[in-house]
Amino acid sequence: MSDIAALSLAEVAAAIRSRKVSSVEVTRALLARIPTWQPILNCFVRVETEAALAGAAAADAALARGAAVGALHGVPLAHKDMYYVAGSLAECGSKVRKGFVAPATSTVLARLEAAGTVRLGALHMAEFAYGPTGHNAHLGPARNAWDPTRITGGSSSGSGTAVAARLTYAALGSDTGGSIRLPAHFCGVTGLKPTYGRVSRANAMPLSFSLDTVGPLARSAEDCGLILAAIAGADPEDPTTAGAPDWDLGTARRSASGLAVGIPSAFYTDNLDADIARTFDEAVATLRRLGVRTVPVELPDQTAVSAAALVVLAAEATTLHAPWLRSRADDYGPQVRARLENGLAYSAVEYLEALRWRGPALAAHLAAIGDVDAVMTPASTSAAPTIEETDVGGGPGAEAAIVAITRFMRPVNYLGLPSLVVPAGWSAGGLPIGVQLIGRPFGDETLIALGTAFQTATDHHLKAPTDP
Amino acid sequence: MSDEVSPERIAAMAAAARVPITPAACARVARAVMPTVTRLSAAKITLALETEPSSFTVVQRRELGR
Repeated sequence: MSDIAALSLAEVAAAIRSRKVSSVEVTRALLARIPTWQPILNCFVRVETEAALAGAAAADAALARGAAVGALHGVPLAHKDMYYVAGSLAECGSKVRKGFVAPATSTVLARLEAAGTVRLGALHMAEFAYGPTGHNAHLGPARNAWDPTRITGGSSSGSGTAVAARLTYAALGSDTGGSIRLPAHFCGVTGLKPTYGRVSRANAMPLSFSLDTVGPLARSAEDCGLILAAIAGADPEDPTTAGAPDWDLGTARRSASGLAVGIPSAFYTDNLDADIARTFDEAVATLRRLGVRTVPVELPDQTAVSAAALVVLAAEATTLHAPWLRSRADDYGPQVRARLENGLAYSAVEYLEALRWRGPALAAHLAAIGDVDAVMTPASTSAAPTIEETDVGGGPGAEAAIVAITRFMRPVNYLGLPSLVVPAGWSAGGLPIGVQLIGRPFGDETLIALGTAFQTATDHHLKAPTDP
Repeated sequence: MSDEVSPERIAAMAAAARVPITPAACARVARAVMPTVTRLSAAKITLALETEPSSFTVVQRRELGR
């Protein structure tokens, strides 16, 4: 791997800003890696070579003439193919939106552009972001850079595996039921699902308007913080962000010593593979060595919270897709169509009851955790399973398989909490394993502080898969 | 929430939503959603009349002043 590709987002941004390396050199270094990995990983849906190099040249020219530059000036990034750029394709991993040209630019991409980033291309995703494994009936599966027979997790499948293979320094994903955190866990990268309402979803493809969040996958917690610093904050185009605070760099950079982390005694401890349980115990010990106080917490029944999340997700996703279900249902892949049909099962009263319970459920969660700054859990019950064993399509076992994979994810979306997944260890077979830090509402910066401290004490996030 | 989901219910709901669906799909959906419906029914969630739809935002935004 080239030295340039091995840099973190923070490092490459500093190197470009100080003119130790040019944006064009960095962009060429990544573009040179993509043809080697793409046939193995299937992680890009479009590589925008000419536009990326033109953008990089413009960034270098701006730097040379002393123009004001953003924090991520000249850094090339690729993103999940659901963030609109006016006049450009955004196909959302689907046949239904094949050839769709976006009418407007998403707030998050506009903000990243304002920070100086250069767009490298668009990344693989589950069809309409409605799948947790990385399978896609139209594009074929994305593959895990640590073992291409394994899933990436989804729905931000390309984002997870492209960051792991060092093809982009960071990538936007989206998280409605684990779609940032599962790929982070399975691919050995760091992923931040922000607080609901912290980052604008304007002109990004929606899946469930009550649960959707936009956030980064990157090589470290510090790098995730850099992306949030660029994209977080209120946006009139997305009213859920009204009153959302801008990024607090001081809190994100604070010491973790003295913080308190809750360790659940149930639900998140059930049916764990031995590697997952061992890694989690080691992560708890690491936090203690960092001066973090760990305390047992008894959370409200997570199975009920999870069920409510499923009702809200299913009803809203089906509502959004109802026009196409009426007119071109055969253009969906079998699993996505089956899941959209599941959403027909719930009445308006059932849906709204599930939605109304959200406030009381969040209040109960906050009462249960007391004053702790975060709760730590495993991210999943296992490391990445194989693509073959999770290829359940829309068959009779599909819903149960999906529910099992997303088990530790859904409560976080329902409660609108921020959550950071950091690499924490390895399975006996050499696959990455993450742990999940769940914060308080708008406690995103504290999660970055905890994750950064964890990554000063461990080196799991620095390891990269061997180049082909 | 009712803890019984039948294929007939799915067919009626789909018709109300004007979404075409096969009898086989109705049976599959009924089986697929049953665990979720059963779990929520068992939770016996009760919500006070005073719990407004905006309460999630209210609870969430209290943390900004914490």
